[in-house]
Amino acid sequence: MAKYSIHNLAKIGSLTPKTVTSLTAELSQMSIESDARRQVQENIRRLKDIGSYRGRRHAMGLPVRGQRTRTQTATANKLNRVDRRA
Amino acid sequence: MASISLRSLVRPSLPVAPRIQPIIAAFSTTSLVSAAAPPAIKSRKDLPKKTKKTYKKKQNIVPVKKPGPGERKAFRKRIQLSNNSALPVAGLDKLEAQTMARAESGGRMFAVPDEVVDRLRALEAFKSTQTWNLFRKPHVLVRKETVELMSRLEASVEKKEAFKCVLTGSRLSGKSLMLLQAMSYALLNEWVVIHIPEGQDLTNGNTEYSPVPDTEPMQFTQPVYCLKLLQNIYKANKAVLEKTPLKQDWTRLSATLKPGSTLADLALSAKESEFAWPTLSALWTELTLPGQPPVLFALDGLAHINKVSAYRDPAFNPVHAHELLLVRTFVDALSGKTKLPNGGAVIAATSENNTHKHPSQELALSQLEAGQAGKPVPQPDPYERKYDDRVYDALKNSTVMRLEGVSKDEARVLMEYWGASGMLRSVLDSRVVAEKWALGGHGIVGEMERASLMTMRV
Amino acid sequence: MATIATGLRHAKCAGSTAAAQWRSAMLPRSSFTLAIRSITSDSHKTTTPPSLEAEAAASVPIPYQGITHARVVPATPSYFSREPQFNDLYIGISKLLTKYNHLPTVPPSEAPQMPWTKLEEMRAQMGEPIKASHYAKVMRVAKRLNLIEPSLRPQEVKVALTEFTRDINPFLNMPNPITIDKFGRAVGVGKRKESTARAFVVEGTGEVLVNGKTLSEAFGRVHDRESAVWALTATQRLDKYNVWALVEGGGTTGQAEAITLAVAKALVAHEPALKPALRRAGCITRDPRTVERKKHGHVKARKMPAWVKR
Repeated sequence: MAKYSIHNLAKIGSLTPKTVTSLTAELSQMSIESDARRQVQENIRRLKDIGSYRGRRHAMGLPVRGQRTRTQTATANKLNRVDRRA
Repeated sequence: MASISLRSLVRPSLPVAPRIQPIIAAFSTTSLVSAAAPPAIKSRKDLPKKTKKTYKKKQNIVPVKKPGPGERKAFRKRIQLSNNSALPVAGLDKLEAQTMARAESGGRMFAVPDEVVDRLRALEAFKSTQTWNLFRKPHVLVRKETVELMSRLEASVEKKEAFKCVLTGSRLSGKSLMLLQAMSYALLNEWVVIHIPEGQDLTNGNTEYSPVPDTEPMQFTQPVYCLKLLQNIYKANKAVLEKTPLKQDWTRLSATLKPGSTLADLALSAKESEFAWPTLSALWTELTLPGQPPVLFALDGLAHINKVSAYRDPAFNPVHAHELLLVRTFVDALSGKTKLPNGGAVIAATSENNTHKHPSQELALSQLEAGQAGKPVPQPDPYERKYDDRVYDALKNSTVMRLEGVSKDEARVLMEYWGASGMLRSVLDSRVVAEKWALGGHGIVGEMERASLMTMRV
Repeated sequence: MATIATGLRHAKCAGSTAAAQWRSAMLPRSSFTLAIRSITSDSHKTTTPPSLEAEAAASVPIPYQGITHARVVPATPSYFSREPQFNDLYIGISKLLTKYNHLPTVPPSEAPQMPWTKLEEMRAQMGEPIKASHYAKVMRVAKRLNLIEPSLRPQEVKVALTEFTRDINPFLNMPNPITIDKFGRAVGVGKRKESTARAFVVEGTGEVLVNGKTLSEAFGRVHDRESAVWALTATQRLDKYNVWALVEGGGTTGQAEAITLAVAKALVAHEPALKPALRRAGCITRDPRTVERKKHGHVKARKMPAWVKR
């Protein structure tokens, strides 16, 4: 935001057209939305395909990085999928 | 068999002693006599009717009208300058051009003229925290310090030299009101008044900013704020600006500006926020040329413009408030870097309600104050790391004026005005004045108001 | 003191059991007069050491010598009661009352203040399980005797009443009066809740400083400011005195009201005539309310933990 001097309470309507264009250009450089999602899914699939422990944990929907599994695995249940949505 | 066994389990009913019941009944014979006999049941319709019980509440909920967007804030920030319930106070003089600078008007109340009130309102000189809404018309107390400040302002025009001043003092001691008095003095004497009502608005990152290209370190303008400020300046100083012709050629800013046009045209030429800052700086340049009217540049909330602002530059480094061009203009004027060849004043007021701890500003102000009084100058705290040299540079050429409580005589005048307005019911004698004076922390005006006007006790 | 008293009593008891038996044995008729101990004779007994009594007994020619069995007769008929000493005390004082019932009395408010012995103290002194109702009965008689017009009071009654008073008179335990020093200051000390305040009051123009700060800086609430100077406001003296107060501990309310008390005390030193007015304004009495202690088994002072099934 600071790069284009956009202040904290700025609304889209209050931006100058020039700023909007440069923001668009900046965002087109990034991989966002479906691109980023696909990237994440590919990474997980790779882990699964090479048969790694992390891949298996993803497939089972369990915590990947050695967290406890007795309780508090709601986030893992939600997120750790092979075809990850969010 | 089963029934017999069950019956045997049932507790045998003992015959009640016959004398017990009549005795109990004897206690309530009166009610028995007085109670009406129940109506005799003759047909089915005399039987008690079953009423259907409903647990639903009746739908009589009136939809509450919620305030629209911005309405609450507007209500909170509204400034009410008159109150029809208050009694009008007759017999007080109106402020005139030189009234406040004269020593004999010290310790008296004066009415602020209506046209000045309108212009002060345009300048946002009235604060919602001040108690204007308790009285019929705005009146001000001219106190000893007021006379001193106004005579300094008067002298600055004669000497053609800017009077640079920082107003400080304890909470609710009337710093903003002193600023208002200075502004009304300036308006009455046909000065041009520029007022930044709240220094915080410039630095808390809530208004738009844009970098100025080719500056090192990078500087920023605040286009939307500048546009609003320009409009306020125009509204408040319309008469003076329309009289004053331009001295330089500003056709590059706007095609409408011809050589014979006035400062008012210049101020009006900015219609969009992109041109606000160039126009404002052009106006400022014009005002600092010799032969123009004197200027009063006032700012409230000094601590906020002496800190590192909430803005970030494109490299995400914090921006010091002095890199914001509008702030820089003020700071240059306050430090004496920009001369005011027509005389005039640059007055900054510290705030105690809306402020943060600012060691370097406190040190600079205390050093200046000690220097003025000829006392030993306080040394910086060796363990403090957050000293800011830029703050010292900004403040070093200014005069520090400390506001504290009013004297008992002034307090009496003020309380008589309150009494005349019907705000103070009790009999005013020296004892009551002394009591309120002590409760208000030795005559701090705002605290006296709190102790005497804002209590529910009558 | 108490130990000495008990020691004396033991010695006396030992002496009386040793000597009085013989006496009662030799003079069976006079046992009645001896047994009913009037208070005066009793007090004499406590002062005379038991050895003297034993000597006196020894000097009497002993008849019936060689008699092997002597009936032991107690010194007082109350010996067989549950509380012999207390009983004697009651009998003695009741007799005094019947004797002097005709004397004029004064209303209770004018009677001399006496530090009456408390029930617990009396139990400890006599070592007897005195009932509260009995104690109350005795004290009623003693207080009635105390109502006798002081100038007409017989010596006997005065002596008897000393039995019912404590050794220390707490009514004489008065605080030192506050004086005004050479600078014209009177220093008062006040407390409330956890706060302690000292107020230096001098004649002046109505300036008030609390810990070197003005009232508005010291107290945010207007109510606290008002209560801090309430002693001066209530007596209309705010513009006649200056106050320099030092206060520490507690919160704002406690500090403000501690200052009230301190200022009131110092003000009384300046103008003693203001005391009734200040008392009516509630500035003289120290407010004894403090935080109630937490108890075990409770969550706070009174709050109990929520009831949980099993």
